[in-house]
Amino acid sequence: MSSETLSGPILTSDGIPLKVSLRKAEKRNKIRAFLLVLPLLAFILITFIIPIGDMLARSVDDRYINTVFPKTFEIYKKWDKQDLPPEEVYETMFFEINAAKGFKIGKASTRMNYSKSGWKSLIKKSQRKFKKIKEGPYKEQMIAIDKRWGDPLYWKALGEMVDPTTMGYYLNSVDLKYDSNKEIIAQPENRRIYNHTWIKTFKVSLLVTLFTLMLGYPIAYLLATLPLKYSNLLMICVLLPFWTSLLVRTVAWMIILQQNGVFNNLMVIAGLIADENRWKLMYNETGTIIVMTQILLPFMVLPLYSVMKTISPSYMKAALNLGASPLHAFWKVYMPNSLPGVSAGGLLVFIIAIGYFITPELVGGKDGQMIGNWIAYHLKTTLNWGLCAALGSVLLFVMLVFYWVYNKIIGVENIKLG
Amino acid sequence: MIKTIKLAFLGLISLAFVGSAYADMTFVSWGGAYTASQQKAYIDTWSKGSGVTVENYNGGLGEIKAQVEANNVTWDVVDVLPDQAITGCDEGLFLKVDQSHFIDDMVVKPVSECISPQIFWSYVAFYDPAAFPGKKPKTIKDFFDVKKFPGKRGIHTWANALIEMALVADGVKPSKVYDVMSSDGGIDRAFKKLDTIKDHVVFWSAGSKPLELVSSGEVVMSLAYNGRIGAAILQEGKNFEYIWDGQVLEQEYLVVVKGTKNEAEAREFVKHASTAESLALQAKYIPYGPMRSSSIDIIKKGEPYFNTGVDVLPHMPNTPKRLRRSVIADPFWWADNGAEVSERFGVWKGN
Repeated sequence: MSSETLSGPILTSDGIPLKVSLRKAEKRNKIRAFLLVLPLLAFILITFIIPIGDMLARSVDDRYINTVFPKTFEIYKKWDKQDLPPEEVYETMFFEINAAKGFKIGKASTRMNYSKSGWKSLIKKSQRKFKKIKEGPYKEQMIAIDKRWGDPLYWKALGEMVDPTTMGYYLNSVDLKYDSNKEIIAQPENRRIYNHTWIKTFKVSLLVTLFTLMLGYPIAYLLATLPLKYSNLLMICVLLPFWTSLLVRTVAWMIILQQNGVFNNLMVIAGLIADENRWKLMYNETGTIIVMTQILLPFMVLPLYSVMKTISPSYMKAALNLGASPLHAFWKVYMPNSLPGVSAGGLLVFIIAIGYFITPELVGGKDGQMIGNWIAYHLKTTLNWGLCAALGSVLLFVMLVFYWVYNKIIGVENIKLG
Repeated sequence: MIKTIKLAFLGLISLAFVGSAYADMTFVSWGGAYTASQQKAYIDTWSKGSGVTVENYNGGLGEIKAQVEANNVTWDVVDVLPDQAITGCDEGLFLKVDQSHFIDDMVVKPVSECISPQIFWSYVAFYDPAAFPGKKPKTIKDFFDVKKFPGKRGIHTWANALIEMALVADGVKPSKVYDVMSSDGGIDRAFKKLDTIKDHVVFWSAGSKPLELVSSGEVVMSLAYNGRIGAAILQEGKNFEYIWDGQVLEQEYLVVVKGTKNEAEAREFVKHASTAESLALQAKYIPYGPMRSSSIDIIKKGEPYFNTGVDVLPHMPNTPKRLRRSVIADPFWWADNGAEVSERFGVWKGN
């Protein structure tokens, strides 16, 4: 080959440089591949990325209230937060309340009520009576209409919403709040509910994961090692409750575990516990853990089973042949091989458990409610979707941290479903 | 672009909430015997009743807000609680309706311009007389007195009504309850009273549960929705006694959702459903109290009025005599303070 042909571009049979032609073909393939995954991409975008983005945006969004009281907030920012705001603030507030049409003011007052209970009715009541006020000065007249206008606490509570974005919802979700100078302080003691609930949520989820593992491991082992005719029967026993409605199973547990229920009755009849000392197994945290363990068990058993099925029995035989005790062989040979299943099952159960809500609602009673119950409460009753979004985002964030830690310690590539 | 996608997403959500085919008009209520009574009294008697689809929900404004925001309203008329009626009307989720035909006939003033009246129901204490061979509890004070009447009590898992009852049991006059609740230390006082029964309570969250708790003897008395107790007595022949003293009455309203595609029908329907006759007819099937005074008169004249041929007034929460020792729940107070008190109640329960 001469050096001349090497320096010139390589041409295809129709005279186009090979590089260009290749690039063209590749591009076409890429577009085709992209079109193939487009439906999936759109699906993920619409059902996953955008909702999460929307949730994150809502958790800090405070623009609405700023469109209702733009001028008031501007003047408010100059106030020194001592005693009561100056006449100017009252005056602009008065006009902006009057100017807000229809449900605009209702929505705004709902927002104001999140930071100080009472704003809602104060605005509603005042709105009607403001018609009587013809001219300034407004401060005294407004206080005369409702003495809450003269309460500094109401005014100071506005401090957290004068910016279009707020961290207030996030603070709220971990029992903190802004004081009037926008410094972060703790919630009053009798309202500190979320940290307690977070800890309980993680505690219950971890315990449920642990219990499902303890119960599920032997079951999965039997499923994987028994002869087919027995293991099929056992499989049906695992799957049957899986196919039964969640509510039916929850209610069945209520009947069994309540203080005058089947379990306690049997214990009393057997003479194991006294009639007046019946165990409290329902309407508390214990009840939540027991019922959730049973409900989530299949999510542990199935991944475990599918992994164990792939472990060749000859490994154990070899270990035993080489002189290991059964326990030692299990610990050194079988157990490590089944770890991917443990990981998959554990992560699956934990993730489902952490957001559980119906079961704790029904059997949680006194202290078995989890963070999901509070999200549902604010979603439906107070319409405080900002707080819901913040709670949800914290949950997502914590999940990601767990995932990261898990990846560091065990490695995600070790998860196997079969 | 983002906005369109967001709308599409919200639309999807509301679809998921509803998940049913489009019909002439959709009426959404709580289900069970209550909705059955509405079906008989309002829908079956309405000229366009055959075009009404009935759906059940679990209360709250979440679904409605999602539908209105997505501009994809599939619920036309919804049965709501008063604090939802207020918040929903304030936030522009409901339409204002013509109230001229009932406004002068109401037992209490309507809470917003969006509502059409329905019924009173109440949180009321009850017991099985067999549990008390000697003296029987008569007042809400007795309910909170674990020395005089030992045994477990059933209470619900949320704060509404419990605060009011605790204060009445602590000696506050029913008519003064909300003054105390709005004053400094009023809520503390209620929680202090609740502390006295804390170790003696069993919590319930589903409306059928208190009846089971009392029937099985797990508790000696319990709070419950009066309609559930009434149904157990009237239809299942259970032997329960009410403690009307200190009951807390709640209201129930119909609203028309903003953005409904059947506005004319929806307006016509709520008007039909809130006539004195319709409200009275409902009491034939469920012992909740109609909100219009003239409906009570119709029932009084018609006794024995209940469909099984017995008197229904003994099971109604809002007879004049009972109202004297009752608290009518103030939805404005709860719209203001509900979140704060609920969080506090959560702390109280958990510790």
